[in-house]
Amino acid sequence: MTAEEMEALKAAFEMHQAMNVEVFYWWCTAIMFMIHAGFLAYEIGASRVKNALASGMKNILTLSVVIPTFYFFGWWIYNAFPGGLVPVDAAFALPWSTSMGPDVQDMGTGIFWAAFALFGATTGSIMSGAVIERIRLSAYLILTILVGSVVWILAGAWGWHPDGWLLLDLGYHDVGASGVVHAVAGFFSLGVLINLGPRIGKFVNGKAMAIVPHNLPMALIGLMMIIVGFFGFLGGCIIFNGGETGWTTIYGNPTNLSAFAFNTLMGFAGGVIGAYLTSREPFMTMSGGLAGIITVAAGLDLYYPGLTFVLAICGGLTMPLVGKMVEKAGIDDAVGAVAVHGWCGFLGVVLVGAFASGYPNTPEGAPEITLMGQFIGALVMAVTGFIPGYAVSLLLSKMNMLRVPSNVEEAGLDLVEIPAQPYPETVPARDIVEGTQPANENSLPANGALS
Amino acid sequence: MNSSPITTWEGAAAYFTFADNPTMMAIFCALAVAGFVGFMAAIIKHEKDAFDKHDD
Repeated sequence: MTAEEMEALKAAFEMHQAMNVEVFYWWCTAIMFMIHAGFLAYEIGASRVKNALASGMKNILTLSVVIPTFYFFGWWIYNAFPGGLVPVDAAFALPWSTSMGPDVQDMGTGIFWAAFALFGATTGSIMSGAVIERIRLSAYLILTILVGSVVWILAGAWGWHPDGWLLLDLGYHDVGASGVVHAVAGFFSLGVLINLGPRIGKFVNGKAMAIVPHNLPMALIGLMMIIVGFFGFLGGCIIFNGGETGWTTIYGNPTNLSAFAFNTLMGFAGGVIGAYLTSREPFMTMSGGLAGIITVAAGLDLYYPGLTFVLAICGGLTMPLVGKMVEKAGIDDAVGAVAVHGWCGFLGVVLVGAFASGYPNTPEGAPEITLMGQFIGALVMAVTGFIPGYAVSLLLSKMNMLRVPSNVEEAGLDLVEIPAQPYPETVPARDIVEGTQPANENSLPANGALS
Repeated sequence: MNSSPITTWEGAAAYFTFADNPTMMAIFCALAVAGFVGFMAAIIKHEKDAFDKHDD
Protein backbone atom coordinates (compact mmCIF):
# COMPACT_ATOMS: atom_id res chain seq x y z
CA MET A 1 0.00 0.00 0.00
CA THR A 2 1.39 3.38 -0.98
CA ALA A 3 1.69 6.32 1.38
CA GLU A 4 -1.11 8.09 -0.50
CA GLU A 5 -3.40 5.10 -0.13
CA MET A 6 -2.58 4.94 3.57
CA GLU A 7 -3.46 8.62 3.96
CA ALA A 8 -6.73 8.11 2.12
CA LEU A 9 -7.54 5.12 4.28
CA LYS A 10 -6.72 7.07 7.45
CA ALA A 11 -8.89 9.99 6.35
CA ALA A 12 -11.80 7.64 5.61
CA PHE A 13 -11.37 5.94 8.98
CA GLU A 14 -11.32 9.26 10.84
CA MET A 15 -14.40 10.46 8.99
CA HIS A 16 -16.31 7.30 9.89
CA GLN A 17 -15.18 7.58 13.48
CA ALA A 18 -16.46 11.15 13.64
CA MET A 19 -19.72 10.02 12.06
CA ASN A 20 -20.04 7.25 14.66
CA VAL A 21 -19.68 9.83 17.42
CA GLU A 22 -22.48 11.87 15.90
CA VAL A 23 -24.66 8.82 15.37
CA PHE A 24 -24.22 7.73 18.99
CA TYR A 25 -25.32 11.05 20.49
CA TRP A 26 -28.06 11.50 17.89
CA TRP A 27 -29.73 8.31 19.11
CA CYS A 28 -29.04 9.08 22.77
CA THR A 29 -30.93 12.34 22.24
CA ALA A 30 -33.77 10.54 20.49
CA ILE A 31 -34.02 7.97 23.27
CA MET A 32 -34.02 10.78 25.82
CA PHE A 33 -37.26 12.00 24.27
CA MET A 34 -38.73 8.84 25.76
CA ILE A 35 -38.12 10.39 29.19
CA HIS A 36 -40.49 13.17 28.23
CA ALA A 37 -43.03 10.82 26.71
CA GLY A 38 -42.85 8.95 30.02
CA PHE A 39 -43.28 12.08 32.11
CA LEU A 40 -46.23 13.02 29.92
CA ALA A 41 -48.01 9.71 30.54
CA TYR A 42 -46.99 9.53 34.17
CA GLU A 43 -48.17 13.01 35.11
CA ILE A 44 -51.41 12.75 33.19
CA GLY A 45 -52.06 9.46 34.96
CA ALA A 46 -51.09 10.83 38.36
CA SER A 47 -53.47 13.78 38.03
CA ARG A 48 -57.17 13.71 38.72
CA VAL A 49 -59.36 13.65 35.63
CA LYS A 50 -60.20 17.33 35.99
CA ASN A 51 -56.50 18.24 35.53
CA ALA A 52 -55.32 15.50 33.16
CA LEU A 53 -54.75 17.62 30.06
CA ALA A 54 -53.38 20.63 31.94
CA SER A 55 -50.74 18.36 33.46
CA GLY A 56 -49.89 17.00 30.04
CA MET A 57 -49.69 20.48 28.55
CA LYS A 58 -46.89 21.31 30.98
CA ASN A 59 -44.86 18.38 29.74
CA ILE A 60 -45.39 19.22 26.08
CA LEU A 61 -44.35 22.82 26.58
CA THR A 62 -41.36 21.95 28.76
CA LEU A 63 -39.32 20.92 25.74
CA SER A 64 -40.48 23.91 23.72
CA VAL A 65 -39.13 26.40 26.26
CA VAL A 66 -35.95 24.65 27.37
CA ILE A 67 -34.66 23.92 23.86
CA PRO A 68 -34.63 27.54 22.59
CA THR A 69 -33.44 29.03 25.88
CA PHE A 70 -30.69 26.45 26.05
CA TYR A 71 -29.71 27.65 22.58
CA PHE A 72 -29.94 31.32 23.56
CA PHE A 73 -27.89 31.09 26.77
CA GLY A 74 -27.75 27.60 28.36
CA TRP A 75 -24.84 26.27 26.35
CA TRP A 76 -22.95 29.49 26.95
CA ILE A 77 -23.47 29.16 30.73
CA TYR A 78 -21.93 25.68 30.67
CA ASN A 79 -18.85 26.90 28.88
CA ALA A 80 -18.52 30.26 30.64
CA PHE A 81 -18.89 29.37 34.33
CA PRO A 82 -16.71 26.35 35.20
CA GLY A 83 -14.78 28.44 37.72
CA GLY A 84 -17.75 29.66 39.74
CA LEU A 85 -19.84 32.75 39.18
CA VAL A 86 -17.37 34.81 37.13
CA PRO A 87 -17.65 34.03 33.41
CA VAL A 88 -14.70 33.19 31.22
CA ASP A 89 -14.62 33.82 27.50
CA ALA A 90 -17.00 31.38 25.80
CA ALA A 91 -18.10 33.39 22.79
CA PHE A 92 -18.03 30.21 20.70
CA ALA A 93 -21.14 29.03 22.60
CA LEU A 94 -23.26 32.12 21.92
CA PRO A 95 -26.06 31.90 19.32
CA TRP A 96 -24.22 34.10 16.83
CA SER A 97 -21.06 31.98 16.88
CA THR A 98 -20.21 29.95 13.78
CA SER A 99 -20.16 26.90 16.08
CA MET A 100 -23.85 27.24 16.80
CA GLY A 101 -25.32 26.16 13.49
CA PRO A 102 -24.70 24.07 10.41
CA ASP A 103 -20.98 23.70 9.79
CA VAL A 104 -19.82 20.91 7.53
CA GLN A 105 -16.46 20.88 9.32
CA ASP A 106 -17.83 20.68 12.88
CA MET A 107 -19.06 17.19 13.73
CA GLY A 108 -19.68 17.56 17.43
CA THR A 109 -20.98 20.84 18.79
CA GLY A 110 -24.58 20.44 17.70
CA ILE A 111 -24.88 16.89 18.87
CA PHE A 112 -23.46 17.68 22.33
CA TRP A 113 -25.63 20.78 22.58
CA ALA A 114 -28.68 18.64 21.80
CA ALA A 115 -27.88 16.04 24.45
CA PHE A 116 -27.31 18.74 27.06
CA ALA A 117 -30.54 20.51 26.07
CA LEU A 118 -32.42 17.28 26.71
CA PHE A 119 -30.72 16.91 30.10
CA GLY A 120 -32.03 20.40 30.84
CA ALA A 121 -35.55 19.53 29.78
CA THR A 122 -35.39 16.55 32.13
CA THR A 123 -34.81 18.86 35.10
CA GLY A 124 -37.97 20.76 34.18
CA SER A 125 -39.95 17.56 33.91
CA ILE A 126 -38.69 16.45 37.32
CA MET A 127 -40.24 19.57 38.85
CA SER A 128 -43.32 19.27 36.67
CA GLY A 129 -44.74 16.23 38.44
CA ALA A 130 -44.29 17.69 41.91
CA VAL A 131 -46.35 20.80 41.20
CA ILE A 132 -49.29 19.39 39.26
CA GLU A 133 -52.88 20.52 39.67
CA ARG A 134 -52.31 23.99 41.13
CA ILE A 135 -49.38 25.80 39.53
CA ARG A 136 -49.97 28.34 36.80
CA LEU A 137 -48.66 27.14 33.45
CA SER A 138 -46.84 30.42 32.91
CA ALA A 139 -45.13 30.23 36.32
CA TYR A 140 -44.17 26.63 35.68
CA LEU A 141 -42.59 27.55 32.36
CA ILE A 142 -40.63 30.45 33.87
CA LEU A 143 -39.33 28.12 36.58
CA THR A 144 -38.58 25.45 33.99
CA ILE A 145 -36.47 27.87 31.97
CA LEU A 146 -34.65 28.76 35.17
CA VAL A 147 -33.87 25.21 36.22
CA GLY A 148 -33.47 23.76 32.71
CA SER A 149 -31.38 26.43 31.03
CA VAL A 150 -29.65 28.19 33.93
CA VAL A 151 -29.46 26.41 37.28
CA TRP A 152 -28.65 22.82 36.38
CA ILE A 153 -26.23 23.83 33.66
CA LEU A 154 -24.43 26.13 36.09
CA ALA A 155 -24.11 23.15 38.43
CA GLY A 156 -23.03 21.11 35.39
CA ALA A 157 -20.30 23.66 34.62
CA TRP A 158 -19.01 23.26 38.17
CA GLY A 159 -19.32 19.48 38.44
CA TRP A 160 -19.08 18.15 34.89
CA HIS A 161 -16.92 20.56 32.89
CA PRO A 162 -13.23 19.52 32.60
CA ASP A 163 -12.33 22.88 34.20
CA GLY A 164 -15.14 22.75 36.77
CA TRP A 165 -14.08 23.94 40.20
CA LEU A 166 -15.77 21.03 41.96
CA LEU A 167 -13.67 18.61 39.95
CA LEU A 168 -10.40 20.53 40.13
CA ASP A 169 -10.68 21.52 43.81
CA LEU A 170 -12.58 18.61 45.36
CA GLY A 171 -12.19 15.70 42.95
CA TYR A 172 -15.98 15.64 42.48
CA HIS A 173 -17.21 12.52 40.66
CA ASP A 174 -20.76 12.30 39.29
CA VAL A 175 -20.68 10.47 35.96
CA GLY A 176 -24.40 9.76 35.68
CA ALA A 177 -25.64 13.14 36.94
CA SER A 178 -26.98 12.09 40.35
CA GLY A 179 -26.01 15.53 41.55
CA VAL A 180 -25.88 17.90 38.60
CA VAL A 181 -29.28 16.87 37.26
CA HIS A 182 -31.26 14.96 39.89
CA ALA A 183 -30.23 16.58 43.18
CA VAL A 184 -30.36 20.03 41.62
CA ALA A 185 -33.82 19.48 40.14
CA GLY A 186 -35.14 17.73 43.26
CA PHE A 187 -34.06 20.50 45.62
CA PHE A 188 -35.18 23.16 43.16
CA SER A 189 -38.61 21.48 43.27
CA LEU A 190 -38.56 21.53 47.07
CA GLY A 191 -37.95 25.28 47.06
CA VAL A 192 -40.88 25.78 44.67
CA LEU A 193 -43.19 23.48 46.63
CA ILE A 194 -42.67 25.42 49.86
CA ASN A 195 -43.99 28.59 48.23
CA LEU A 196 -46.59 26.90 46.06
CA GLY A 197 -48.37 25.16 48.93
CA PRO A 198 -50.39 21.94 48.88
CA ARG A 199 -53.36 21.16 46.67
CA ILE A 200 -56.74 22.00 48.15
CA GLY A 201 -57.83 18.99 50.19
CA LYS A 202 -54.37 17.48 50.54
CA PHE A 203 -54.15 18.31 54.23
CA VAL A 204 -57.23 18.27 56.47
CA ASN A 205 -56.64 19.45 60.02
CA GLY A 206 -52.95 18.88 59.45
CA LYS A 207 -53.43 15.29 58.36
CA ALA A 208 -52.26 14.27 54.89
CA MET A 209 -55.03 12.90 52.68
CA ALA A 210 -54.55 10.64 49.67
CA ILE A 211 -55.24 12.30 46.33
CA VAL A 212 -55.22 9.27 44.11
CA PRO A 213 -54.13 9.14 40.45
CA HIS A 214 -57.04 8.94 38.02
CA ASN A 215 -55.15 6.45 35.86
CA LEU A 216 -52.53 4.53 37.79
CA PRO A 217 -51.77 2.09 34.94
CA MET A 218 -50.91 5.02 32.68
CA ALA A 219 -48.66 6.45 35.39
CA LEU A 220 -46.87 3.11 35.73
CA ILE A 221 -46.33 2.81 32.00
CA GLY A 222 -45.02 6.36 31.97
CA LEU A 223 -42.52 5.52 34.67
CA MET A 224 -41.31 2.52 32.69
CA MET A 225 -40.93 4.77 29.63
CA ILE A 226 -38.73 7.08 31.70
CA ILE A 227 -36.53 4.10 32.50
CA VAL A 228 -36.18 3.43 28.75
CA GLY A 229 -35.25 7.07 28.26
CA PHE A 230 -32.60 6.75 30.96
CA PHE A 231 -30.53 4.59 28.64
CA GLY A 232 -30.30 7.56 26.28
CA PHE A 233 -29.64 9.87 29.20
CA LEU A 234 -26.86 7.74 30.67
CA GLY A 235 -25.43 7.02 27.23
CA GLY A 236 -25.24 10.78 26.75
CA CYS A 237 -23.21 11.02 29.96
CA ILE A 238 -20.37 8.95 28.50
CA ILE A 239 -17.83 10.38 26.06
CA PHE A 240 -17.29 8.68 22.72
CA ASN A 241 -13.76 9.74 21.80
CA GLY A 242 -12.05 9.54 18.46
CA GLY A 243 -8.58 8.13 17.98
CA GLU A 244 -7.29 5.35 20.21
CA THR A 245 -8.88 6.65 23.41
CA GLY A 246 -12.26 4.96 23.17
CA TRP A 247 -14.91 5.55 25.81
CA THR A 248 -14.23 7.81 28.76
CA THR A 249 -16.37 9.37 31.43
CA ILE A 250 -17.08 13.06 31.23
CA TYR A 251 -14.06 13.44 33.53
CA GLY A 252 -11.73 11.73 31.09
CA ASN A 253 -11.12 8.48 32.94
CA PRO A 254 -11.50 5.27 30.91
CA THR A 255 -14.81 3.44 31.08
CA ASN A 256 -17.19 1.71 28.69
CA LEU A 257 -20.86 0.99 28.05
CA SER A 258 -20.45 -2.45 29.58
CA ALA A 259 -19.70 -0.93 32.97
CA PHE A 260 -22.72 1.34 32.61
CA ALA A 261 -24.90 -1.61 31.52
CA PHE A 262 -24.00 -3.78 34.52
CA ASN A 263 -24.64 -1.03 37.00
CA THR A 264 -27.66 0.64 35.41
CA LEU A 265 -29.59 -2.63 35.33
CA MET A 266 -28.51 -3.68 38.81
CA GLY A 267 -29.41 -0.21 40.06
CA PHE A 268 -32.87 -0.44 38.54
CA ALA A 269 -33.52 -3.88 40.04
CA GLY A 270 -32.22 -2.94 43.47
CA GLY A 271 -34.26 0.24 43.57
CA VAL A 272 -37.48 -1.57 42.68
CA ILE A 273 -36.88 -4.19 45.36
CA GLY A 274 -36.05 -1.59 48.00
CA ALA A 275 -39.11 0.53 47.28
CA TYR A 276 -41.36 -2.53 47.26
CA LEU A 277 -40.09 -3.55 50.69
CA THR A 278 -41.06 -0.24 52.26
CA SER A 279 -44.18 0.56 50.27
CA ARG A 280 -45.87 -2.56 48.77
CA GLU A 281 -47.48 -0.04 46.44
CA PRO A 282 -47.08 -0.07 42.63
CA PHE A 283 -46.48 3.63 42.04
CA MET A 284 -43.74 3.77 44.67
CA THR A 285 -42.33 0.40 43.58
CA MET A 286 -42.01 1.57 39.98
CA SER A 287 -40.55 4.89 41.16
CA GLY A 288 -38.04 2.75 43.02
CA GLY A 289 -36.51 1.81 39.67
CA LEU A 290 -35.74 5.47 39.08
CA ALA A 291 -34.57 5.89 42.66
CA GLY A 292 -32.21 2.94 42.32
CA ILE A 293 -30.61 4.16 39.11
CA ILE A 294 -30.25 7.70 40.46
CA THR A 295 -28.70 6.39 43.68
CA VAL A 296 -25.91 4.63 41.78
CA ALA A 297 -25.64 6.92 38.74
CA ALA A 298 -22.77 9.00 40.12
CA GLY A 299 -20.55 5.91 40.31
CA LEU A 300 -21.74 3.86 37.34
CA ASP A 301 -18.17 3.58 36.08
CA LEU A 302 -16.68 2.51 39.41
CA TYR A 303 -18.97 0.17 41.34
CA TYR A 304 -18.94 -3.60 41.47
CA PRO A 305 -22.47 -4.64 40.36
CA GLY A 306 -23.11 -6.47 43.65
CA LEU A 307 -22.36 -3.27 45.53
CA THR A 308 -24.52 -1.33 43.08
CA PHE A 309 -27.42 -3.63 43.83
CA VAL A 310 -27.07 -3.15 47.59
CA LEU A 311 -26.73 0.62 47.29
CA ALA A 312 -29.76 0.79 44.99
CA ILE A 313 -31.80 -1.24 47.48
CA CYS A 314 -30.85 1.34 50.11
CA GLY A 315 -31.95 4.14 47.78
CA GLY A 316 -35.22 2.38 47.02
CA LEU A 317 -35.82 1.57 50.69
CA THR A 318 -35.29 5.09 51.92
CA MET A 319 -37.03 6.93 49.07
CA PRO A 320 -40.64 6.27 50.24
CA LEU A 321 -39.62 7.11 53.81
CA VAL A 322 -38.18 10.45 52.72
CA GLY A 323 -41.36 11.03 50.74
CA LYS A 324 -43.37 10.49 53.93
CA MET A 325 -41.12 12.91 55.80
CA VAL A 326 -41.69 15.56 53.15
CA GLU A 327 -45.44 14.99 53.43
CA LYS A 328 -45.30 15.18 57.23
CA ALA A 329 -43.64 18.54 56.87
CA GLY A 330 -46.81 19.75 55.13
CA ILE A 331 -45.31 19.73 51.65
CA ASP A 332 -47.45 18.31 48.85
CA ASP A 333 -45.06 16.67 46.41
CA ALA A 334 -47.60 14.97 44.16
CA VAL A 335 -45.21 12.40 42.68
CA GLY A 336 -42.37 12.17 45.19
CA ALA A 337 -39.89 14.14 43.06
CA VAL A 338 -38.04 15.50 46.08
CA ALA A 339 -37.52 11.99 47.46
CA VAL A 340 -36.74 10.25 44.15
CA HIS A 341 -34.53 12.90 42.58
CA GLY A 342 -33.48 15.20 45.41
CA TRP A 343 -32.76 12.62 48.10
CA CYS A 344 -31.48 9.81 45.90
CA GLY A 345 -29.40 12.24 43.84
CA PHE A 346 -27.83 13.65 47.00
CA LEU A 347 -27.31 10.17 48.39
CA GLY A 348 -25.79 8.98 45.12
CA VAL A 349 -23.09 11.64 45.15
CA VAL A 350 -22.20 10.95 48.80
CA LEU A 351 -22.09 7.18 48.25
CA VAL A 352 -19.32 7.57 45.67
CA GLY A 353 -17.27 9.18 48.41
CA ALA A 354 -18.15 6.44 50.88
CA PHE A 355 -17.45 3.49 48.58
CA ALA A 356 -15.10 4.76 45.86
CA SER A 357 -12.71 7.09 47.64
CA GLY A 358 -9.16 7.07 46.39
CA TYR A 359 -9.87 6.70 42.68
CA PRO A 360 -7.65 9.13 40.78
CA ASN A 361 -8.99 11.91 38.60
CA THR A 362 -7.40 12.54 35.23
CA PRO A 363 -7.25 16.38 34.90
CA GLU A 364 -3.88 17.66 35.99
CA GLY A 365 -3.93 18.78 39.59
CA ALA A 366 -7.38 17.38 40.35
CA PRO A 367 -7.45 15.54 43.69
CA GLU A 368 -8.61 11.96 44.02
CA ILE A 369 -12.17 11.12 45.01
CA THR A 370 -12.82 11.65 48.73
CA LEU A 371 -15.81 11.35 51.02
CA MET A 372 -15.50 14.96 52.08
CA GLY A 373 -15.22 16.14 48.49
CA GLN A 374 -18.33 14.22 47.52
CA PHE A 375 -20.27 15.39 50.57
CA ILE A 376 -19.43 19.03 49.91
CA GLY A 377 -20.27 18.50 46.26
CA ALA A 378 -23.65 17.04 47.16
CA LEU A 379 -24.35 20.00 49.45
CA VAL A 380 -23.38 22.42 46.68
CA MET A 381 -25.82 20.68 44.32
CA ALA A 382 -28.66 20.79 46.86
CA VAL A 383 -28.11 24.46 47.71
CA THR A 384 -27.60 25.44 44.07
CA GLY A 385 -30.96 23.90 43.27
CA PHE A 386 -32.89 25.01 46.33
CA ILE A 387 -32.02 28.72 46.54
CA PRO A 388 -33.10 29.82 43.05
CA GLY A 389 -36.18 27.59 43.16
CA TYR A 390 -37.23 29.06 46.47
CA ALA A 391 -36.33 32.67 45.66
CA VAL A 392 -37.94 32.92 42.24
CA SER A 393 -41.09 31.02 43.26
CA LEU A 394 -41.38 33.33 46.29
CA LEU A 395 -41.15 36.32 43.97
CA LEU A 396 -43.80 34.85 41.66
CA SER A 397 -45.99 34.12 44.67
CA LYS A 398 -45.69 37.70 45.93
CA MET A 399 -46.73 38.89 42.46
CA ASN A 400 -49.71 36.51 42.55
CA MET A 401 -48.32 34.71 39.51
CA LEU A 402 -47.46 31.32 41.01
CA ARG A 403 -50.68 29.55 41.80
CA VAL A 404 -54.05 29.35 40.08
CA PRO A 405 -57.03 30.93 41.91
CA SER A 406 -58.72 28.57 44.36
CA ASN A 407 -62.01 28.52 42.43
CA VAL A 408 -60.12 27.46 39.30
CA GLU A 409 -58.27 24.76 41.22
CA GLU A 410 -61.53 23.40 42.60
CA ALA A 411 -63.23 23.41 39.20
CA GLY A 412 -60.24 21.81 37.53
CA LEU A 413 -57.69 23.33 35.19
CA ASP A 414 -58.92 21.46 32.13
CA LEU A 415 -62.38 22.93 32.41
CA VAL A 416 -61.10 26.48 32.80
CA GLU A 417 -58.10 26.82 30.50
CA ILE A 418 -57.84 23.81 28.18
CA PRO A 419 -60.09 23.86 25.11
CA ALA A 420 -60.31 20.07 24.97
CA GLN A 421 -61.53 17.13 27.04
CA PRO A 422 -59.42 14.11 27.99
CA TYR A 423 -62.18 11.53 27.76
CA PRO A 424 -65.11 13.20 25.99
CA GLU A 425 -67.12 10.02 25.45
CA THR A 426 -66.76 8.74 28.99
CA VAL A 427 -66.46 11.23 31.81
CA PRO A 428 -66.74 14.91 30.90
CA ALA A 429 -64.58 16.90 33.30
CA ARG A 430 -67.47 19.06 34.44
CA ASP A 431 -69.32 15.96 35.63
CA ILE A 432 -66.67 14.88 38.04
CA VAL A 433 -65.89 18.23 39.59
CA GLU A 434 -66.83 18.14 43.20
CA GLY A 435 -70.27 19.52 43.89
CA THR A 436 -71.63 19.18 40.37
CA GLN A 437 -74.00 16.56 39.07
CA PRO A 438 -73.58 14.11 36.20
CA ALA A 439 -74.82 15.40 32.87
CA ASN A 440 -76.87 12.27 32.32
CA GLU A 441 -77.58 8.88 33.80
CA ASN A 442 -74.76 7.25 31.87
CA SER A 443 -72.12 9.47 33.41
CA LEU A 444 -70.22 8.25 36.41
CA PRO A 445 -71.20 9.85 39.71
CA ALA A 446 -69.24 12.77 41.06
CA ASN A 447 -67.78 10.86 43.94
CA GLY A 448 -64.61 11.42 45.87
CA ALA A 449 -62.86 8.48 44.27
CA LEU A 450 -62.73 10.19 40.95
CA SER A 451 -62.28 13.81 41.91
CA MET B 1 -33.75 35.33 -5.13
CA ASN B 2 -30.34 33.87 -4.33
CA SER B 3 -30.04 33.30 -0.59
CA SER B 4 -27.07 30.94 -0.65
CA PRO B 5 -24.09 32.20 1.34
CA ILE B 6 -21.75 29.95 -0.65
CA THR B 7 -21.03 29.47 -4.31
CA THR B 8 -19.36 26.07 -3.96
CA TRP B 9 -19.27 23.27 -1.37
CA GLU B 10 -15.53 23.03 -1.85
CA GLY B 11 -13.96 24.25 1.40
CA ALA B 12 -17.33 25.20 2.91
CA ALA B 13 -17.53 25.43 6.69
CA ALA B 14 -20.27 27.25 8.65
CA TYR B 15 -23.14 28.59 6.59
CA PHE B 16 -26.10 30.37 8.11
CA THR B 17 -28.80 30.78 5.53
CA PHE B 18 -30.29 34.29 5.56
CA ALA B 19 -27.94 35.14 8.43
CA ASP B 20 -24.50 35.11 6.90
CA ASN B 21 -23.62 38.57 8.13
CA PRO B 22 -23.77 40.18 11.59
CA THR B 23 -26.76 42.36 10.83
CA MET B 24 -29.00 39.57 9.61
CA MET B 25 -27.82 37.30 12.41
CA ALA B 26 -28.70 39.97 14.98
CA ILE B 27 -32.10 40.42 13.37
CA PHE B 28 -32.87 36.70 13.42
CA CYS B 29 -31.60 36.29 16.98
CA ALA B 30 -33.80 39.20 18.03
CA LEU B 31 -36.78 37.76 16.16
CA ALA B 32 -36.25 34.35 17.76
CA VAL B 33 -36.10 35.87 21.24
CA ALA B 34 -39.10 38.09 20.47
CA GLY B 35 -41.09 35.09 19.27
CA PHE B 36 -40.28 33.27 22.46
CA VAL B 37 -41.19 36.22 24.67
CA GLY B 38 -44.41 36.63 22.69
CA PHE B 39 -45.25 33.00 23.30
CA MET B 40 -44.77 33.46 27.04
CA ALA B 41 -46.91 36.61 26.98
CA ALA B 42 -49.64 34.73 25.10
CA ILE B 43 -49.71 32.04 27.76
CA ILE B 44 -50.00 34.60 30.55
CA LYS B 45 -52.80 36.37 28.67
CA HIS B 46 -54.63 33.12 27.98
CA GLU B 47 -54.48 32.20 31.66
CA LYS B 48 -55.77 35.58 32.75
CA ASP B 49 -58.61 35.52 30.22
CA ALA B 50 -59.57 31.95 31.16
CA PHE B 51 -59.56 32.70 34.87
CA ASP B 52 -61.55 35.92 34.38
CA LYS B 53 -64.08 34.10 32.22
CA HIS B 54 -64.46 31.42 34.86
CA ASP B 55 -65.12 34.09 37.48
CA ASP B 56 -67.97 35.55 35.41
